[in-house]
Amino acid sequence: MRREAGPAAAGDVVEKLARHRMIVCCGSGGVGKTTVSAALGMAIAAARDTRVLVLTIDPARRLATALGLTSIGTRPVTIAPERLRAAGLAPRGQLDAAMLDAKSEWDRLVERHAPSPEVRDRILANRFYRGISTAFAGSQEYVALDAVYDLQASGEYGCVVVDTPPSRNALDFLDAPDRLTDFVSARLLAWLAGPSRFGLRAMGFAATPFLRMADRLLGGEVLEELGAFVRDIQGLYGSVRRRAAAMYDLLRSPATAFTVVTTLDPQPFAEAEFLCARLGERSMPLRAVVVNRVLPRALLDPAGAVAATTLAEDPGVGAWLSAELGEPVAPAVPRRLGQAFLALHALAEGQEAQVARLGGLGRVPVARLPLADREVSDLDSLGELARRLREGPG
Amino acid sequence: MFQTLASGAAAGREGDLSSGGARGDALESLLARRILFVAGKGGTGKSTIAAALALIAAGSGRRVLCVDVDVKGDLARALGAEPVGFQPRLVQPGVSVLALLPEESLSEYLRIWFKVPRVARLTPLVRVLDFVATGVPGTREMLTTGKIAYEERREERGRPTWDLIVVDSPASGHLLPQLSAARSMMELTRGGIIRSQTEWVDQTLTDPRRTLLAICALPEEMPVAEAIELHDRAQAEAHVAVGACFLNSTLPVPVTPRDTGVLEALASGHAQAAAARLGGQLGPVLEGAAIARRLHDGDRRHASRLRAHMRVPVLEVPRQVGTAPGLETTRAVAAAVGGSAV
Repeated sequence: MRREAGPAAAGDVVEKLARHRMIVCCGSGGVGKTTVSAALGMAIAAARDTRVLVLTIDPARRLATALGLTSIGTRPVTIAPERLRAAGLAPRGQLDAAMLDAKSEWDRLVERHAPSPEVRDRILANRFYRGISTAFAGSQEYVALDAVYDLQASGEYGCVVVDTPPSRNALDFLDAPDRLTDFVSARLLAWLAGPSRFGLRAMGFAATPFLRMADRLLGGEVLEELGAFVRDIQGLYGSVRRRAAAMYDLLRSPATAFTVVTTLDPQPFAEAEFLCARLGERSMPLRAVVVNRVLPRALLDPAGAVAATTLAEDPGVGAWLSAELGEPVAPAVPRRLGQAFLALHALAEGQEAQVARLGGLGRVPVARLPLADREVSDLDSLGELARRLREGPG
Repeated sequence: MFQTLASGAAAGREGDLSSGGARGDALESLLARRILFVAGKGGTGKSTIAAALALIAAGSGRRVLCVDVDVKGDLARALGAEPVGFQPRLVQPGVSVLALLPEESLSEYLRIWFKVPRVARLTPLVRVLDFVATGVPGTREMLTTGKIAYEERREERGRPTWDLIVVDSPASGHLLPQLSAARSMMELTRGGIIRSQTEWVDQTLTDPRRTLLAICALPEEMPVAEAIELHDRAQAEAHVAVGACFLNSTLPVPVTPRDTGVLEALASGHAQAAAARLGGQLGPVLEGAAIARRLHDGDRRHASRLRAHMRVPVLEVPRQVGTAPGLETTRAVAAAVGGSAV
């Protein structure tokens, strides 16, 4: 019988994900996606005799340093097995890390898809190119996916863990290939790319007022230049479309496992619910959920709350403490201690409200990672998270 | 409960704007501008802080326009209203909201500047212009910024329609192009009507007496790093002055190692007496104190990093517990920030 969703043993997550060749971690910004991706990569390298790559996008500096990523560039760096062992893991496989450089990935993409060296050079030299390649929604996501696709195709890695870009809308990643195809699609741009303005007129839209307006808006030469650029970009269309189709195939294939990372705070959690539903609609398989920064259950203890309330509110408690301990205790001390507990108690209760909804995310194993003792920024603390992912919080 | 904790905790805090007066001055200096951009990484509570600032400004008698640059409607929700459209709608006494929807921005832009009537057939045109806007750096942003600057200039019966415009800005990555849109347009377009408009938009945004940027951060490494980066780049690249930084979601109760020492001493030799006197369990409180101390240490570390780097007031906003974003939370944040809201 299938395991019900909800509080499954955490070990299941690593075991389950380790069978896949590509793990895509998504979730809203600020939930610790990069950290979880790195820890997941470590856990899989420990569990499976294979080469694992963690591909991060814009990691925090200290985390990047911890992974040995000192300079930007998509070239993978191997984390020495001694360092993994020092971090408390017994690696069976190998762990590499890489940091995606969107700018150079874009150049690579143009180089690959351009129909001729002349077109390639014209595009790379165009002054709109940089703006366009970085500005449109999902552009960073697209190049990330493009790079991942290549890494997959190379067969160099048994497992690639992808940390998706910190986009406002996590769906950008999933829709990126379509958007890029749209972007270079003939239909939308035919107008601007038309050989002459008469070509535009022939399209039958209200082309003339549009052009007049655009001319007045931007000045004529900008439009001409943009038109030339669009003509060049269109040369990429067939190639980009084929590749986008292949990417969707990969995203929907059994080799891929989507993992949603969230905290139990109301906003990221609502986004996680939304994301899980959209993944289903796109036939992209959700395989696991990782809940990050869970507060300890002790904070929910009602008996603790009773004691804390006395500490916070009973005016005589300071004097009693002084007498009991035989040393002076300022009244502010018990007040602070009590208030601190009550504040955390309320936070933990807020998290608990989401726990009941975990099962609704999908029938997949859920791992819970505790609020870390310190900020996760070195290999030791990543190793600790990796162990927790494998063994569960027990 | 949290507000009382917050004011108590903020009062004695080293390096913070310790007196209510200093906090009030920092706040008043922000609200005395014409345009206030509230920005920060996603999840830093931008919308709530923008809404709280609007309520405080309205509380001091200003007529405030809130501009939501995101279509999600977070800002309207933080002001207790349903998502709004392109026309300003009064949602609280003295506070109106509008959402900058790209398509409507464009058609209004065309209507205002080119006398193009609002027509249904605008859609294919908008799609193409949308592409142009993607391609020509700054066009799309210019529509947004242009609308904001237009509202700033609006007058009714000889006086400005709005005393203050609070903008809930898009995430940092999109904000900088927006702030510098006018400048980049000026570099790109040698002719065209847009060229002549960009100049006054640029003047409005780069005048620190009229426009300031407030940056939101969380006490975590990445949001702090991003806040610092935004602080530097806003001034260097967009020439927009930063007025304040809000460190959101701090733990308002400072627990010291000595405090936890008292608790440990109590737990080790006096557990029974404590249970009797306190009427509950000491163990969880001890665990809570350790976590509180850690979180508080983190808050202090991140706050000092921000203060060391930014030469602007860093205002701490205590974490709001158990409430989803909405008017109630916004009011609590307004109170915590130190203003009296409407």
